[in-house]
Amino acid sequence: MTTAEISPPTHPVAGLPKAREKMGRRFAYGFLILSIMPIVVGYSWIVVATLSFRTEGLLPRNAEGGIGGFTLSNWDFVTDGAIWNAMFNSLLIAVAMVFGVGIASTAGGYALSRMKFAGRKAFLSMTLVLHAFKAEMLLIAIFFVLRWLGDIPIIGNFVGFNSVGGVALVMIALELPLGIWLMKGFFDNLPWDMERAALIDGASRFRVWWQIMLPQVRPGLAALSLFTFIAGWNAYLVPFTFTIGTKVANMPVFLNQLISDTAPTNWNQVAAVGLFQMIPLLIFFIFTQELLLNIYAGGSKGS
Amino acid sequence: MTQSLEKETDTGVPAGDPTSQRSTLARRVRATATAYGFMGPAIVLVLLFFIVPGILLLVLSFTNLSSANFSDPWSYIGFDNFSRLFSDPFFPKILRNTAFYVFTTLIFFNLGLALVLALVTTNIPRRAGFFFRLVWLLPRLTPSVVYIMMWQRIGQADPFGIYNQIVPGFLGASGGNLFLGGSPWTFVILTNGFVGASFGMIIFTSALESIPKDLITAAKVDGASLWRIIRDIKLPLIKWPLLFIATYQTLSLLTSFEYILLLTEGGPGLFTTEVWALTAYKRAFSSYFGNSQWAFGATWAIVLVSVALVLAVGYVKLFKFNELIEEPRIENL
Amino acid sequence: MRVELDNLSKSWDGVVGADKITLDISDGDLVAFLGPSGCGKTTTLLMVAGIYKPSGGTISFDGRVVNEVAPKDRGIGMVFQSYALYPHMTVFGNISYPLRIQKLDKAVIKDRVQKVADMMGIGDLLDRKIAQLSGGQQQRVSLGRALVKEPQLLLFDEPLSNLDARLRLTMRGEIKRLQGDLGITSIYVTHDQVEAMTMADRIAVMSKGILQAYDVPEALYDRPKTLFVAGFVGNPPMNFLDIEVTRDNGEFRAKSESIDLILPQERAEKAAAVKGKVTMGLRPEDLNLAEGTSGHSGPTLSGVAETVEPLGREDLVGVGINGVEMRVLVDKTRGVRVGDNLDLQVDPSKIQLFDPVTENSLLWA
Ligand SMILES: Nc1ncnc2c1ncn2[C@@H]1O[C@H](COP(=O)(O)OP(=O)(O)OP(=O)(O)O)[C@@H](O)[C@H]1O
Ligand SMILES: [Mg+2]
Repeated sequence: MTTAEISPPTHPVAGLPKAREKMGRRFAYGFLILSIMPIVVGYSWIVVATLSFRTEGLLPRNAEGGIGGFTLSNWDFVTDGAIWNAMFNSLLIAVAMVFGVGIASTAGGYALSRMKFAGRKAFLSMTLVLHAFKAEMLLIAIFFVLRWLGDIPIIGNFVGFNSVGGVALVMIALELPLGIWLMKGFFDNLPWDMERAALIDGASRFRVWWQIMLPQVRPGLAALSLFTFIAGWNAYLVPFTFTIGTKVANMPVFLNQLISDTAPTNWNQVAAVGLFQMIPLLIFFIFTQELLLNIYAGGSKGS
Repeated sequence: MTQSLEKETDTGVPAGDPTSQRSTLARRVRATATAYGFMGPAIVLVLLFFIVPGILLLVLSFTNLSSANFSDPWSYIGFDNFSRLFSDPFFPKILRNTAFYVFTTLIFFNLGLALVLALVTTNIPRRAGFFFRLVWLLPRLTPSVVYIMMWQRIGQADPFGIYNQIVPGFLGASGGNLFLGGSPWTFVILTNGFVGASFGMIIFTSALESIPKDLITAAKVDGASLWRIIRDIKLPLIKWPLLFIATYQTLSLLTSFEYILLLTEGGPGLFTTEVWALTAYKRAFSSYFGNSQWAFGATWAIVLVSVALVLAVGYVKLFKFNELIEEPRIENL
Repeated sequence: MRVELDNLSKSWDGVVGADKITLDISDGDLVAFLGPSGCGKTTTLLMVAGIYKPSGGTISFDGRVVNEVAPKDRGIGMVFQSYALYPHMTVFGNISYPLRIQKLDKAVIKDRVQKVADMMGIGDLLDRKIAQLSGGQQQRVSLGRALVKEPQLLLFDEPLSNLDARLRLTMRGEIKRLQGDLGITSIYVTHDQVEAMTMADRIAVMSKGILQAYDVPEALYDRPKTLFVAGFVGNPPMNFLDIEVTRDNGEFRAKSESIDLILPQERAEKAAAVKGKVTMGLRPEDLNLAEGTSGHSGPTLSGVAETVEPLGREDLVGVGINGVEMRVLVDKTRGVRVGDNLDLQVDPSKIQLFDPVTENSLLWA
């Protein structure tokens, strides 16, 4: 290409692109570093706090007010069975959500993206409009629905009020509008010919979805699963509202009980429990961060 | 092959034949049934946990149900709850707070900063971009209680506050004295913004990364500056994710209150940082003299949901989401 | 299998994809759907496949209307322009997919896949992932997948347009030979008229959703029924001139500002009946450079070479004749340069004449 001919330098500094680029880089890093300062400082404090008796600012203090006072006693809870029970419940909710949201979103997203049926448009706008109903607002009413579900024989034991299943079900439902909308965007981007070929090869729509289309949206599904897992693992409001007692408490609920049950609250221990809760997520995250980047594949289409 | 064709003979009769019309109908029903089969799980869950609760909320708002009279059948009290709501002396304040909170957080963080972060982290080396985005995602991974505790520590007064320990040392006394009690809104918006921005950041980054490299190269060849590339190419191409995040985050912010509840409980003082959703929650679940006013809470909630609904429908219309819907390119026979 | 389309139409509120297509494909024939982009070839093909539902008309296989039959029950195989292979499966996985759905015996599947793969020359690639194949190999896999079901009708949607020119030539021959050997009725969509001419038993020329002509290749070339067909079939395309046909002294003449030619009677008679302008068509290959002063018959035109495009063996020369440009194929050895004065010799027996209003041929209507 004869670029030199078509595009003479139009900008006075275009002649010094290197210097300009360097400036831009510095500016970018400066901005980014500044922007993460509160996060960095906050987490530094958490780490310091979990290892000391008390803190002033970022500094650990001992009883005399000098720097020091390190201790591991804040971590004593790991030998307590209750936390492992809570962690198991958290895992249960998160995994149930990953599967529930995954199945319902990929099935619903596929139908909305690829199939013609009465009510399709209404459902599509609904996935957007439903965001107007947030969990927080519906809690009161969902409480009654869960109690009714609990009254149904057999199923009620698993999904009613004060059950991990019930909490998971509510959480799945609340994540659905986003999940369906995102998955629809992924299906929108798949070529039609592949699906046509499969239909001609003799596959049913269900088989096409399961064997041909799902493998193509795996990156999107992985990203959605990751987000769902985080939401499930850290869920507080719904489990807190719909569970009573420690047997069904998940990690965040356990953490809050720790705050309200002990007076005065040992905040350093709370920080330790909180950090403990994050560790599995962090490990998980470091290995899967690239997957998260796939969450949006809608391109120019409206997902 | 001949076999499979012969199997179909009964349906492959010429059009106009009455049996053919019946089979057309049967096929259409079957095709719709397939689609609804796929939609099934979603429909059931949406019905159970959105539609039914939505209706219940509306019904509740016309009753006087509270934990004090829970065992009684619900009794209808007309619009009492609504008139009580609108004549609440703090109603205008709560309304103003909510509007301020939603729009400030949305513009500066959930949309604005999210976009800036996505643009900046995609314009530096890949590894570095990953690192900064990862740090930005940390708040989202953190249990809300701990996250808020972190901000409370940052914002505490001397000698416990981290900000007041570090910053005045750099900036002199003038930089000091920022603390939670003194500027609660700053902290409410920062806490929400630091979690909210990461969602948009991820979506925008993902959308930006999926822009074909050829387009950017072509623009560079044409001599476009970085700023022009962003303005003329990148932004138009991520228009839909932008609109989606705008909609999604407006509605999220409007109805969220968890962080405010944990950070300030709406205080300090009377209703300083109280937003609508928090009021609804408090009315329903925090007891006033041992009584949770479920019905009154539901009234606050249903009014807020109505506002959110109007906004959502407005967004759908404004952005012409319906026109984006493509017809499927496989038709059911 | 014999395929009949009867008034087959497709439209999406307002957008017309195919408009009253009627044609009859004999058992074992390869029919090409030829036409410019967006003319409705794919639309028609997808209706035959059962992917699109016709808005009107019928499709019959061996006399049986199949409008309501699902794609999987139509006994068809299809090859797509994009190949439409399943990227997460191996070559074996792709070719065997139709058979696996039919739940055939494992050994039978293996046997049939191997046979088809060998036939396609990809027998040793069965364990490869799709991403590890070249475009040509992918196209063979796609063809193999269509053939393995032993279909009664093969549908091709521009299968070669993503291949390079040389490979296209090879594949063209292979597909034609395979189709002939197996005797499977085939519909072959293409916008490349050379492909259509060389491969097809019959060609359906389409434009804007309408079937313009349906005939054997030679007939479309020698006796085009419409202006569109004349312009679309043949490469390089036919030259068109506006002329008036006059008759004096029993002699028919084609006249315009730039031209004055004597026309053979059998071609000109009908045209003379038309008052006013007539469109005359002349193929570049029917115009020759006059050999200096050596004796020749037939009318001549003179002009100046304005452009010269070397095509290899021949040059395509654009000759300006009083402001009208005519493309002419000239042997390379003549060494024509831009600016040369040229005398063109016309083969009057190849002249086509069209009504400029109806665009129908005045000769073969
Ligand atoms: N699903 C659809 N919805 C609406 N219009 C369509 C659809 N499919 C095709 N069309 C329109 O129908 C017309 C014919 O399209 P078709 O794909 O059949 O063309 P084609 O001859 O195959 O062209 P090409 O050579 O470019 O593949 C075009 O105008 C196209 O825009
Ligand atoms: Mg096509």
